[in-house]
Amino acid sequence: MLALRDLQARFTDSLFATEDLTLLDLVDSDGLDARARLAVYRHHVLATLTATLAAAYPVVCRLVDQRFFAYAADAFIRRHLPTEPCLVEYGAGLPHFLASFPACGALPYLPDVARLEWAVHTVAQHSDAASLDLARLRRVDPRDMAQLRFVPNPTVALLASPWPVDKIWKAHQEGTSEALPGLQGGAVCLEVHAVGETVAMRVLEPATFAFRDALARGLTLGEAAGHALESYPSFDLQQAILELLDDCIFNDFTIITE
Amino acid sequence: MNGKRDLPSRAGIGLKAPHVGELLATRPAAPWLEVHPENYMSGGIALASLEAVRREYPVSLHGVGLSLGTAGDIDARHLSRLRSLVERIEPCLVSEHLSWSTAGGVYLNHLLPLPYTDETLGVVADHVDEVQNALGRRILIENPSSYLRFRHSSMAEPHFLAELARRTGCGLLCDVNNIYVSAWNVDFDAGSYLDTLPVQAIGEIHLAGHAANDADGRTILIDDHGSPVTAPVWKLYQRALERFGSVPTLIEWDTDLPELSVLLGEASVADRMLQAFASEDDHACAA
Repeated sequence: MLALRDLQARFTDSLFATEDLTLLDLVDSDGLDARARLAVYRHHVLATLTATLAAAYPVVCRLVDQRFFAYAADAFIRRHLPTEPCLVEYGAGLPHFLASFPACGALPYLPDVARLEWAVHTVAQHSDAASLDLARLRRVDPRDMAQLRFVPNPTVALLASPWPVDKIWKAHQEGTSEALPGLQGGAVCLEVHAVGETVAMRVLEPATFAFRDALARGLTLGEAAGHALESYPSFDLQQAILELLDDCIFNDFTIITE
Repeated sequence: MNGKRDLPSRAGIGLKAPHVGELLATRPAAPWLEVHPENYMSGGIALASLEAVRREYPVSLHGVGLSLGTAGDIDARHLSRLRSLVERIEPCLVSEHLSWSTAGGVYLNHLLPLPYTDETLGVVADHVDEVQNALGRRILIENPSSYLRFRHSSMAEPHFLAELARRTGCGLLCDVNNIYVSAWNVDFDAGSYLDTLPVQAIGEIHLAGHAANDADGRTILIDDHGSPVTAPVWKLYQRALERFGSVPTLIEWDTDLPELSVLLGEASVADRMLQAFASEDDHACAA
């Protein structure tokens, strides 16, 4: 008799990989082959996880059609099973996976559309995040300002793409009258944010995006300003900092000391 | 907010995200609602909507993620998230399943089958104790739908559940559709199963539809919660009510979701059957 831990390890392996004769021997066939019985569980796991991904990535699903999506999702799921039960958080790796999935090569914008969908999906889960303590920020010694490192507000996501992913996204919403955009010259910098019970997105100037994105990646205020000014010498830093606070892009900060 | 009292002995419905907007806008007369806590643990817009629902209706949290049957430790983070949600929502009931879903660090998103052995009983009982201690309340454990049976099981499922309830003090959620589906798939008598469950432990009944699929020339019933409750399951429900009396009952519908009114219609059928078994106290509660 197998210990429960061993049985569960073999059961898990047999759902996605090789047949396990020891496990099959433990299953009472009773009019139906043990393999067919295990297949019921395999089908359910794959079908429900595919449905979970389709719910998080509805536009990707429409762009490639349902059957192709199921094919790609099957390959993704077998390589990246969920690690915990809150499935609304499952699927973060799909954009990266699609970028290297050979069958998606004809749709080069697909991974970025997926990144946008994941941004929309995740900011909606954080509409109740805390906001920045402005009184505490005002007390920071001006000499330490350049050393501020901000904590991104999870209600906001930043995304840049060489493709007009915002327009593609909007053209594939249910009931939309937006036309499909041309793909050339459609590079876009986006900010996605949760507002009340909805999610909104807006286009940012490339300089503003570079500054905010640098901060979101953990650069200090001084480093991020340098980064933005290097690429965009006319960047209005003071205005950008004021807008940063107005837009609630960050909800906490630390002062980096050497 | 509805108080922290028991659920009414009426028929409620499982609430799915696509129905939340309509429910809040129209406030239909559903006696109570049940949701999967996993869909609300991430917070945000979903949690805000559940709090709005909770202000209007009694709510039960029906977990699918604790994996009580996994050999080894329970997922402490998941239990902690469940506890936070329970504190926030103050549900009338909390329930989980007799199954496992997690092994080797992966979550398989299915209520997977257990061998009913002394070892398994020890594992599940320890986990139920841990959850009840963490939440500070009694939980209900639901019988799963089965597509296979392990040869080395040393006890039948209803005996296992009865012993689990005796050891831990947990209640039982009797899923009548699951009994019907499992009885067909792994060949046992559904009526005898009902007769073996301990009456005093039953705190809730589930009803749902199932599908009949062909598997290598044999029909296998799939508990897909995607259609109306079938006639034989209504019949088994009648028998469950005769044995357990009037118990809060839930219509589950998770796939191919129909209009909200269809679910409410199914619930009203169950409600009429329930009322025939209601005690004087239940009538007062339902009024």
